[in-house]
Amino acid sequence: MNPALLTFQKLWPALAAGTVGAFVPRRSSRVERLGIALAAAACVLFVTMLWPDAVATEPASTLSNAERFPHLLSWLVFIPIVGGALMLFAPRQATKTVQWLTLGIMGAELVATLFLFKLTPTEGKYWIEESTPWIETFGIRYHIALDGFSYWLIVLTSVLTPIATYVSFGSIKTRLKDFCIAFLFLQGAMVGSLVALDLFLFYVMWELMLVPMYILIGVFGSTDRVRAAIKFFLFTMAGSMLMLAAILFVVLKYKALTGEMSWDLNDLQRLNFPLTTQRWLFWGFAIAFLIKVPMFPVHTWLPDAHTNAPTGGSIILAAVMLKLGCYGYIRFAMGLFPHAAHVYGATLAGVAVVGGILYGALCAMKQNDVKRLVAYSSVSHLGYVMLGIFSRNPASMEGAVLQMVNHGISTGALFLLVGVVYDRRHTRDLAEFGGLAKVMPWYAAVFLVVTFSSIGLPGTNGFVGEWLIMSGAVLSKGTLGQWGRSQAMGAALGVILGAVYMLTVAQKMFFGPLDNPKNRKLPDLTRREGIALAPLVVLIFVIGLFPRIFTEPMHVTIEPWIRDFNARVEVPPVELATVAPKPAAPTPTPVPAPAQGGE
Amino acid sequence: MEHHLLFQPDDWTPLAWILGAPLFGAFFNGIFGKRLGKNAVRIMSIAVMAVAFAAALLTFFQLREMRHLGDAALAAASAKGGTPAEFGEPTRFTWLAWKWLSMPSGDGGGRLGIDAKFMVDELSGVMMLVVTGIGFLIHLYSTSYMAKDPGYHRFFAYLNLFCFAMLVLILGANMPLLFVGWEGVGLCSYLLIGFWFDKEANASAGRKAFVANRIGDVGMIGGMFLLAYYTGALDWDGISHNSQGLLQKITLIQRADPTKNVTVSAATLTGLALLLGCSGKSAQIPLYVWLPDAMAGPTPVSALIHAATMVTSGLYLICRLNLVFTFSPFAMAVVACVGAATALFAATIGLVQNDIKKVLAYSTVSQLGFMFLGVGTGAFAMGFFHVFTHAFFKAALFLGSGSVIHAMHAKIHDDVKSQDMRQMGGLKKFMPWTYLSMGAATLAIAGMPLFSGFFSKDGILFHAYANRVVHPFKHTAERLVELCAKNPKIPACSQAQAQLAQYWEAPSWFGTVLFAVGVLAATMTAFYMFRLMFMTFWGEFKGWAVDAHAPLAVDPFQNEEPLVDEPEAADAHGHGDDHEHGDDAHDAHDAHSAHAEGAHAEDAHDDHGHHHEDLTTPSAPPAEAPWTMAVPVAILAVFAVFAGLLYAEPLHLEPLGHWLGPVFHEASHASVRFKEGAEKLEIPLMIPGILAFVVGSGLAWFFYVKGEGKIPADLATAWPRLHRAALNKWYVDEIYDATVIEGTDALADGAALMDTWVVDGIIAKLTSALASGFGAVLRAFQNGVVHVYAAGIAIGALGLFVFFGRPHADVVTTKTGDQYVLEATPGLGYEYKWDLGDGKADQQYTTGEAALKRSFTVKQDETKKVKLAVKNAFGREVVREVQISNPKPAPSSSALGLPGAPPPAGH
Repeated sequence: MNPALLTFQKLWPALAAGTVGAFVPRRSSRVERLGIALAAAACVLFVTMLWPDAVATEPASTLSNAERFPHLLSWLVFIPIVGGALMLFAPRQATKTVQWLTLGIMGAELVATLFLFKLTPTEGKYWIEESTPWIETFGIRYHIALDGFSYWLIVLTSVLTPIATYVSFGSIKTRLKDFCIAFLFLQGAMVGSLVALDLFLFYVMWELMLVPMYILIGVFGSTDRVRAAIKFFLFTMAGSMLMLAAILFVVLKYKALTGEMSWDLNDLQRLNFPLTTQRWLFWGFAIAFLIKVPMFPVHTWLPDAHTNAPTGGSIILAAVMLKLGCYGYIRFAMGLFPHAAHVYGATLAGVAVVGGILYGALCAMKQNDVKRLVAYSSVSHLGYVMLGIFSRNPASMEGAVLQMVNHGISTGALFLLVGVVYDRRHTRDLAEFGGLAKVMPWYAAVFLVVTFSSIGLPGTNGFVGEWLIMSGAVLSKGTLGQWGRSQAMGAALGVILGAVYMLTVAQKMFFGPLDNPKNRKLPDLTRREGIALAPLVVLIFVIGLFPRIFTEPMHVTIEPWIRDFNARVEVPPVELATVAPKPAAPTPTPVPAPAQGGE
Repeated sequence: MEHHLLFQPDDWTPLAWILGAPLFGAFFNGIFGKRLGKNAVRIMSIAVMAVAFAAALLTFFQLREMRHLGDAALAAASAKGGTPAEFGEPTRFTWLAWKWLSMPSGDGGGRLGIDAKFMVDELSGVMMLVVTGIGFLIHLYSTSYMAKDPGYHRFFAYLNLFCFAMLVLILGANMPLLFVGWEGVGLCSYLLIGFWFDKEANASAGRKAFVANRIGDVGMIGGMFLLAYYTGALDWDGISHNSQGLLQKITLIQRADPTKNVTVSAATLTGLALLLGCSGKSAQIPLYVWLPDAMAGPTPVSALIHAATMVTSGLYLICRLNLVFTFSPFAMAVVACVGAATALFAATIGLVQNDIKKVLAYSTVSQLGFMFLGVGTGAFAMGFFHVFTHAFFKAALFLGSGSVIHAMHAKIHDDVKSQDMRQMGGLKKFMPWTYLSMGAATLAIAGMPLFSGFFSKDGILFHAYANRVVHPFKHTAERLVELCAKNPKIPACSQAQAQLAQYWEAPSWFGTVLFAVGVLAATMTAFYMFRLMFMTFWGEFKGWAVDAHAPLAVDPFQNEEPLVDEPEAADAHGHGDDHEHGDDAHDAHDAHSAHAEGAHAEDAHDDHGHHHEDLTTPSAPPAEAPWTMAVPVAILAVFAVFAGLLYAEPLHLEPLGHWLGPVFHEASHASVRFKEGAEKLEIPLMIPGILAFVVGSGLAWFFYVKGEGKIPADLATAWPRLHRAALNKWYVDEIYDATVIEGTDALADGAALMDTWVVDGIIAKLTSALASGFGAVLRAFQNGVVHVYAAGIAIGALGLFVFFGRPHADVVTTKTGDQYVLEATPGLGYEYKWDLGDGKADQQYTTGEAALKRSFTVKQDETKKVKLAVKNAFGREVVREVQISNPKPAPSSSALGLPGAPPPAGH
């Protein structure tokens, strides 16, 4: 067939979507039309290209991921950090330049992220890895890697940071350069935490995240910003200290047993501690991560931090930073101390359901400040994520990772939307609003879409995540003890409460008579806000309708990981700490995996 | 065989058109509707429904074609002497859109694929026709009803989206996909109930509907998980093939004595969970309360969503999963009870309501109760048939009432008063088309013999009396017991006897009670429906003074709705002016069609303000609706009259029953039995049904036509509290408010308070108070006054002196194998005296390196006591005793429970 015809055949859905998209805007602005057309076409291309059943057009490369994309992960970590350092030399007064430079750096990061889609997922192993000695005296290595747990979280970070930054340019007028630099460092640190496998490196990145966020809340926040920033910092720091102590203990024990120092997760995982020691160490790590998640009862920093953070800060805080708690729990707390994680899993799942899902939702029902309400809804939603993790079942783990992404998108969008109305009215009190759907129809429409995604309407992203998590909790045999089903039912009750508080917000803000004269003349979404929201709305539906794009790459990692975890739990805990022998040097395995049973 | 069909049965693309057309309409109207104008919206929305209906018809007739082939093959097979079967497998067309989600099932191994796959069979074929057909008529009606609404494009976007979601619900080939539609219709219902959102009450009604449905959804989700767990599948095929798994027992309460465990079969639990979902969507006790409030939406919405289609989806689900439900006679009995109770309860409320839409709303709840009663007694086809006939007559009634309200709104711009039947009366003269259509539908719902409602309702009542639902294995067990009677040596005999006793079954009086309740509810139905007709259409018109000379506008084909497209404000002003002319028939039209706008656009409302008090000045009478509204009602009324002939059991005319046979026969065959001798009662049992119609309608005539409403007024004064209670819906809303809603609210209050004062209080406020308290104490010392510092130094020095003045006998133990080394801590001028307990204790204090250490052996399982005395430079002595035991190494064992065996590699 004619190659042009072939190309057309491949591309026509994207072209059609682009054409429709070009007609969508009402204002006769060519830029806008082109932008929306390109976005629609790109979105369709994204779905068709990543579709798991799509027939591969190119033969699979024989080279390994690391050979094809050397240092890809380092690029991802250091583009924003180096960019942020270079931004120090940008002229402070030239605000436009500063804005474009920041967006340019983040755009470069986004382009680098696109290469992640080219990676071949490898079953049961890190997909791509880099490791070089860093501080050799102490055995510290620069060891970073990527697998199905961190893959989508990195993509989420790369997508949401520019959105949060871009939308903030509408409201941040002073100290813009500082704001941009903080954001760039924050992004680098978040990506760094997501890829670090060396505990030292991880700890550095983990703490590095705190500083820019502290600045964002403390400098750019609203009225009570300093107190909120300190509260945020102290809560997180308290956990980090416990984690640091636990890390040092583990590392020194490793040195005592093997005679060499290593901070590498792969090495330290070979340690086998007696159960009592494991319990202490586990809590050292777990508390640090659970504060970040945040889980009951250490969640109270979150509403304060969110209420006072600027819009962009709230988006990043909710969308990405909280997820690092969940991610760290999986990677490090569970990875290093399987027996303790197994022993406490069922109890913690109960806390996640009662203290997270239900309690968070009940608290949310009683908030008058919209941002505070969304913050409590985060507590509730992350209860689902943690329930999925504690259930430790392929379905629930996949659901948990997907729900992290979902929550990032939906709650990120909600914070963005609250910021929109805050910019106009400088209040977030629900009683001040009412009938806004009349003056801001597009705003109301987008808010409703996000609301329904947040309460998990099927067809949107929220449903898929919650469905996988709850079904995993029901189907889990043994991990949640006899309570698995009750916990799934408790989680299902949260679905009702979610509808109650989110729909109450929608009603109080948008419906009813427009009786507050201050709201009569509010402008609808600006172009900036529209552009920032569009990708989030699109992603809500893409994940809701085509979740396999997202879950297929995950389960290559998650299923072997759980198998490995269960095998480690199966080995009884030892009396005195021991260390397992190093696995044989990885030899290339040209033999393909044995043919697997029917799919 | 294939050449009869236009498409492959397993790739039936017309399903894509059926689903795609309304979705496209929703997208188009939602995004482009506002700028393209009302005519474009009207054409688009009607066209997409026409396409969907045409594709549905094509699919349906092709399905019939294929079914005939299947029947012929079956007949041929039984002629050849194969097993004679009345029905084969259901005939199916499927279409796979894409693979939606794949979910790991269980800990290891397989994945459960959930595809976006659509399927049409006999059951969904009928539903699909109802939804697209009635949907088309209601779209047509709405183009006029909503003509003056500024939210025209929004309305049709929602309505098209609703049709799409409803079709997903019906055509989805698996449970989660049905759930997508299930929630989708809930969303559209939420949006449409609150369509005129600037009234707080409308928005609240929408939220109430959504939340009530969400409560039901918890049941749905639970039911889905149970299905997935016990049948390992979620698609209809997989569920019915593996449904035996649902007979497993689940232990609810574990007792020490396992025979006393409280167990329940998985089927019962699944059935009850799903029933909760169905009672949310289909407005049954206890979740029905949202439906009457849902009348806040525009009337076409009430007709389409809250009468004809969405509220029947619970019935559809039960019919679809009939095998699951019949596995549990208990769940079936609960379904029947819920249905009967709802039918009666809602009917009692309907008796006294004065709002025309409220009467119809409670009537809908009551009729849905009848349907549940039908399917709960195993008469799936008959229950579904009532869904079918009810769709026609209730849609006709709602649309007719919409025309009436529309006409009343011409002068009465109050939303409540224009729906009040006490303001109406005598409308048959002004609105003959509407009167005739609604009259036909009323006769149908009231159960006039030979009308559609008669056949479906009496069929349900008969089956409620005659059917017995038994455990599907009862038949086998009975046969076994029979065999045992002849040959008691069969080993399974005692077991079969015990099994037979375990199968739960409804008591014998159950059917009779259901029948009696049903007849009572049917009598009330006839009463309140005729009351509605008499109050609305008979007697004198009470709405406003009618100008006797004004021309009657009774021809719907002359009454045109003007579709003005220009800026809404100007539009509204135009109306205000037109009204001044008063006696122009066309103008009356113009005005009442503006009611929608008047109801929600504040500016327009102000314009109409001067009409409110204008009811005494003679003006034009209410006018017949335009043809776009009258014709759909008339078509529905025709169906309401004749649809009964599709399944008239007493006349042995059962094309629908035969058509649905393949879907239901497996369950009916195994679990549904006739009571002995009930076949002969079919005709006699019709008499109570006919009597119900005669008595109900006769009473209504006697009360409201002959007695001119005096008798009901007298009754209301005689029993004021009873009347008030019924009028206030037996205070159910208030009871729910006081218990569930207040309870949740109190919990939320408690949680919020606890969060601020207890959780945050301890973790943040208390710790910060402690830290600052410590700081305050420490700060007190750092006061810069020299003699305070000097006192500190003095106290510290004294402390050191006291400490070092005393000897310290500390011992460090190190173990290598059974060899132990004790080492005393050194100190200035210390002397040591050891007693290792071996009889060779030191007699003298010694000092130096050698005195510090002692080593010795302790055998396994032995314990040794060691004494160490220390003397310091001041001559003070202290003795320390150390106990050393060498236990056997315990056999290593795990104290941990483990999550089953490691899963096999691969998947």
